[in-house]
Amino acid sequence: MNEAKKKTAVITGCNRGIGKDVVRLLAEQGTNVICCIRKENPDFSAFLNDLAEKYSISTEILYFDLTDEEGIKAGLKPLLQRKQRVDVLVNNAGIATGGFLQMTSIQQLKDVFQINFFSQVLITQTISKLMIRQKSGTIVNMGSIAGLENFAGYTAYGSSKAAIMFFTRTLARELAPYNINVNAVAPGLTDTGMAGQMEDKAYKEMVERSDFKRLGKPEEIANLVVWLASDKASFITGQIYRADGGM
Amino acid sequence: MKNIEKYNAVFCENLKITEAMLPNLKYQAVPLWDSVGHMTLVAALEDAFDIMLETDDIIDLSSYEKGKEILNKYDVKI
Repeated sequence: MNEAKKKTAVITGCNRGIGKDVVRLLAEQGTNVICCIRKENPDFSAFLNDLAEKYSISTEILYFDLTDEEGIKAGLKPLLQRKQRVDVLVNNAGIATGGFLQMTSIQQLKDVFQINFFSQVLITQTISKLMIRQKSGTIVNMGSIAGLENFAGYTAYGSSKAAIMFFTRTLARELAPYNINVNAVAPGLTDTGMAGQMEDKAYKEMVERSDFKRLGKPEEIANLVVWLASDKASFITGQIYRADGGM
Repeated sequence: MKNIEKYNAVFCENLKITEAMLPNLKYQAVPLWDSVGHMTLVAALEDAFDIMLETDDIIDLSSYEKGKEILNKYDVKI
């Protein structure tokens, strides 16, 4: 692919699960990837090196902790300093927690919101500045059906995902004048480490509520993310796309 | 081009106004300096002076004069 036509994507939380598949699928399309992860991971670095060689793309890793706002700013600073062109931002990072309200401390709520909402807002605030300057871009946020459906025990996680999805719809209106589209994906329970953290009863209930009676595969969610990030979705903005096996 | 000339040009070009309108010009005082125009103005200032404004400064950029003070923080003397 012509270097000038190559897109560049920034992806958060991508050293495993859905995010890792998003990186792989974007790379397959010839997109350069800038991956934001918390700490060094030799296996992930090797994975990126393989993608770079196989698909002739550039790869870069930015390290920062989403609980540290100054760290996020410092981590993204190189992109601002070199006026990096960013065509796609995938806000994928997140943590899952469960627990009834009476068993959820306010600190836990704040911690979940910090990672699932505030850090994503800060990253978007920074990257969208670059997109505003270039007057183009695509942002895909990772929502969840937990922010759309009412599941007991999802006070923290569900509320944070509802917030990111509302943010998606609002931001879409704000950034449309700059030719930037903003959408979110709302996966059902997906076969990642997060699903493994669930209580057995809640896990079974959620699988039972889906028409397909199974977990989603990370790639099935990543496919939707990558499609929304593509030019094929250029007239779509402010939407929440469910990928939940039917609920 | 002097910084003041660059600064004035950014305002005039992006807000479609004349230099005579710049003194005492405030946010939302002209049709193109609305919230959308504000972000375009910020991007143009950043391009013109090769800086990246912090969010707090973007919020504080409430007038033509205030903009000069803010740019001063980024070592841009107007």
